[in-house]
Amino acid sequence: MSSRDYILKQADDLRWEIGENFHDHIIESLYKDAGQIASKVVKHEGEDKKYKFDQILDRLVTSRWTGFPIMFLLLAVVFWITVEGSNVPSGLLASLLVDTIHPLLKSFGTEIGLPIWLNGLLIDGAYLALAWVVAVMLPPMAIFFPLFTLLEDFGYLPRVAFNMDNLYKKVGAHGKQALTMSMGFGCNAAGIIATRIIDSPRERLIAIITNNFSLCNGRWPTQILIATIFIGGAVPAHLAGIVSAAAVVGIAVLGVVFSLIVSWGLSNTVLKGEASAFSLELPPYRPPRLLQTLYTSLIDRTIFVLWRAIIFAIPAGLVIWLVSNISIGELTIAELFINWSNPFAILFGLNGIILLAYIIAIPANEIVIPTILMLTVTTASLAGVGSGAGVMFELESVNETAQILYGGGWTALTGVSLMLFSLLHNPCSTTLFTIYKETKSVKWTVVSALLPIAMGFTLTFFVAQIWRMLS
Amino acid sequence: MKHIYDCEYNQAQSSLNSIAGNLNITSDKAAKLISKLAEMGLVYAKTDKVTLTQEGRSYALRVIRIHRLWERYLADQTSLRETEWHAQAEEREHHLTEEQANVLAAQIGNPVVDPHGDPIPSSDGIIKEKRGVSILKLDIGQLARIVHIEDEPNSVYSQIVASGIHLGMQIRILENSKDKIKFIAEGEEILLSPLIASNLTVMPESKSEDFKKDTPTLSSLKAGEEAEVIGISKACRGQQRRRIMDLGIVNGTKIRYEMESAGKDPIAYSVRGSMVALRKAQADQIFISKKGIVNG
Repeated sequence: MSSRDYILKQADDLRWEIGENFHDHIIESLYKDAGQIASKVVKHEGEDKKYKFDQILDRLVTSRWTGFPIMFLLLAVVFWITVEGSNVPSGLLASLLVDTIHPLLKSFGTEIGLPIWLNGLLIDGAYLALAWVVAVMLPPMAIFFPLFTLLEDFGYLPRVAFNMDNLYKKVGAHGKQALTMSMGFGCNAAGIIATRIIDSPRERLIAIITNNFSLCNGRWPTQILIATIFIGGAVPAHLAGIVSAAAVVGIAVLGVVFSLIVSWGLSNTVLKGEASAFSLELPPYRPPRLLQTLYTSLIDRTIFVLWRAIIFAIPAGLVIWLVSNISIGELTIAELFINWSNPFAILFGLNGIILLAYIIAIPANEIVIPTILMLTVTTASLAGVGSGAGVMFELESVNETAQILYGGGWTALTGVSLMLFSLLHNPCSTTLFTIYKETKSVKWTVVSALLPIAMGFTLTFFVAQIWRMLS
Repeated sequence: MKHIYDCEYNQAQSSLNSIAGNLNITSDKAAKLISKLAEMGLVYAKTDKVTLTQEGRSYALRVIRIHRLWERYLADQTSLRETEWHAQAEEREHHLTEEQANVLAAQIGNPVVDPHGDPIPSSDGIIKEKRGVSILKLDIGQLARIVHIEDEPNSVYSQIVASGIHLGMQIRILENSKDKIKFIAEGEEILLSPLIASNLTVMPESKSEDFKKDTPTLSSLKAGEEAEVIGISKACRGQQRRRIMDLGIVNGTKIRYEMESAGKDPIAYSVRGSMVALRKAQADQIFISKKGIVNG
């Protein structure tokens, strides 16, 4: 027996003899000594005033009467600033990337003698998809995340977790899931990375799987547009704005409800167990560091979004162009798929175009609407709109969009089904990739992809059947 | 195999019948099983006595090692209930290679005992001697610490869990007779029938850290009150226990009720100058004393 083995054996024997409690004693004595040292050398000055302020604020944001209203109000303000504030830069980016640079690239391609098909594939397909994702995604991200970071810096977000914990505890999850869900409203991939703040593995996994039920930035525009056309269009004009906004908020709330239901389902079946290892520190309030926050989240997010656009949107753009321009016999691949899947899609109140758009849009939810419009125009052969086969476009006005969709045979049911399906379908590929990176598990990644899809088809199926029975 | 080994470890004799009983199979089946094991060279079977060969013993120890490691892992790292550990570990013990077991052991800090107080055999098959005596052997007034809880049969074990008994608790015997045993553990009076209590093994102790009957817990604190922490229940274990202690909640810490959340639970306490939120279930496991603290 070498001396190393001997020492190890001694240690083992001793551990067996001392029993379980010596860890506790060690930690106790550490704190005792540290406390004694600190009380000798640390001076306290001027903390009372700050403490009083913190107390007053805390009473306000955590009281039973004002806590939740303040929370909803703040969240609503953040959304409103995001939606309103991103309109202008989105428009600017779109006119720059799509209206200005795109024709330039097109003619440049012709000048250097690119074959027509390659020019279409690269410029109309790949470049345009990239331009869309950047124009639609970058501004909201660049506004939403800094705002969120400011709230976090200030110390408000832990209070939200503190307030929401009871609800999440009931479904076997962690209060911090409220934060990762809110992050998910910006971007599910970011929300999933944010689940690192949950330290017990089971609760973290639940938060990861259910994050997709937060309506992300790429899906807000779809919801808002469809709600405006089909739900706002169904009520008197002076109510349209309010009603369609309420419908979108309704879908978002429905998402939160689903996340709670699924959390409960998971913690009672495959992820059995009680809510465990809860810990939540409530840091003192600090004045947010405005400039630093703006700088870091802008730079971080910008790079993240650009990278994502390049990695995921370009292949999608290529696919869109190819399926619309390659013909087998009389019809293009897109038309073939749409005709083949239509009967099936009708069952769910959707149509083949929407299914195809969602398959193509796996890399990024942002391109769903432009793809749907392009496919509707090319397959329904509506003359005089759009920019040709395989070229995504969005229209200036909601009215024009409405005309196209009604022309494509859409009804209010199609609109409602699309809104529900947009909430409940597989996460985009970035999110799935992030889930895989965070869980290191193919199984859970597959679950996260298939569970919402199954739920989406189930829900839209019942809604469609009941709708048709009633009308 | 495990059963035969258990019998040897506890200096009992295993027989055809005891094996059949333990595995819940007919004695015919048990006989077939034993002859199969004998063919494999893992046991000697004579008339009614079954003993392990050297090889059989090392195989049994390997399985036991993996089983107990799994139980430890489940207890510390997952949120499964106590009553589910054993069944889960029974399933897992056959799916793990020795190497995986060593990796698992290293991951959870090479523990020496499983969550029931059984020693975990080392990777080279050395297992520690049993410690302690049956709780039934104690006299009235005696202090002892629970060092082992037998987790089979499950029906008995669930009753022990349900009565709130945990490994490492200090107890004081109040009554000990043929038909009942009564003792205080963490300020609660517990009454068990000897049949159930025979599953508990204890080590007598002299130094008292006895909690008086009805020791208040942190959850009894009212808004604005302050108290001193005097202990954390043994029911709080693994990751959760470490977290609470890491936050500075240890014996002697002053703790004050700050506010409740809008959902009424958790409640925020200030501890050593920082604010920590604890759920009621956790606050129930922290013992406090309001002595010597002026609550104005």
